[in-house]
Amino acid sequence: MESNNRTVRLTLPAEADYIDLVRLTLYGISSKMGFSYEDIEDMKVAVSEACNNVVVHAYEPGQGGNMEVHFEDIDNGLRILVQDQGLSFDHDRKVRSADSLHNKSLDEVSSGGLGLYLMQALMDHVEVKGEQGTVVILTKMVSKSEEMV
Amino acid sequence: MVQENKFRMEKQLTDDDNIISLIGELDLSKASEFNSAIDPFVQETNRKLILNLKELTYIDSTGIGVILTIIKTRHALKAPFGVENIPPKVQKLFDLTGLTPFLSAVANTVN
Repeated sequence: MESNNRTVRLTLPAEADYIDLVRLTLYGISSKMGFSYEDIEDMKVAVSEACNNVVVHAYEPGQGGNMEVHFEDIDNGLRILVQDQGLSFDHDRKVRSADSLHNKSLDEVSSGGLGLYLMQALMDHVEVKGEQGTVVILTKMVSKSEEMV
Repeated sequence: MVQENKFRMEKQLTDDDNIISLIGELDLSKASEFNSAIDPFVQETNRKLILNLKELTYIDSTGIGVILTIIKTRHALKAPFGVENIPPKVQKLFDLTGLTPFLSAVANTVN
C-alpha cells in the first residue's frame, strides 16, 4: 500500500485491550486536522469496528498477531488503513453481510453485520480488500461548515 | 484501558427497579464482562431493569449487541426494561443501527 509522507503508523497486538489506543491516536490526528467533534466521534466508531474485526476474525485463537493502522493525511481528509496478516475471508460476502436492525422483528435481528454497517454509515468511503490478510480502508473528508474542535 | 475512560458499572437497587449505570467506554474489550455482570439482573423479573447511560462515553457494535440480547431476553421473560439518559452520540448510533425502535417497544412491556 503506497503511503504519502504525512502518514502516522501504529503497530499493535491484535487484542481488544489495545483498541482504545487507536481511538486516542485518531482523536489527536483528526482534531489537529480540523475535523468537527461529530466527525471525530464517527471515525472513532468506524476505526474501532475495523479493529474489532481484526481482533475477532484475523488470527486463530492463541496464535497472536498484529494489527497495523495507518493514518494518512490526504488533501482535506483522512484515510485510515487497518491491516492484518491473518486469515483472509471472502470480502465480497462480508461486505454484502453488512446489515442494520431496521425493518426487522425482534426474533429476526442479530448484531452480526452491524460493525461493517456502521463503518459504511459513518465514513465517506469504505473499501475492504486483501489476499494475504485483510485491509480495510476508511476515508472521511473534512467538512468546512461544521464547528471545529 | 485509559483510566478515566475505563468501563465500570454502578448498581442502584430500589423496591421496584434495578438501575444499572454504565460508565466510561463500552467496547469489545469489556462487552463480555458487561454481559456476565448484567446477566443476574436480566434474569430477575420482579424488578424493572433500567440502564442509565448518562456517563457512557463510547459504545461500539459489540456493546449494542449486548443491549440487543438484553432486549430479547427481557421480551421473552415479559419483564420490563428501559434505557435512560442516552447521550446524543450514543443515541445517534442506536438510531443508525436501528436499535431505537426495539428500545421503545420493550419499554412498554408490562410485567
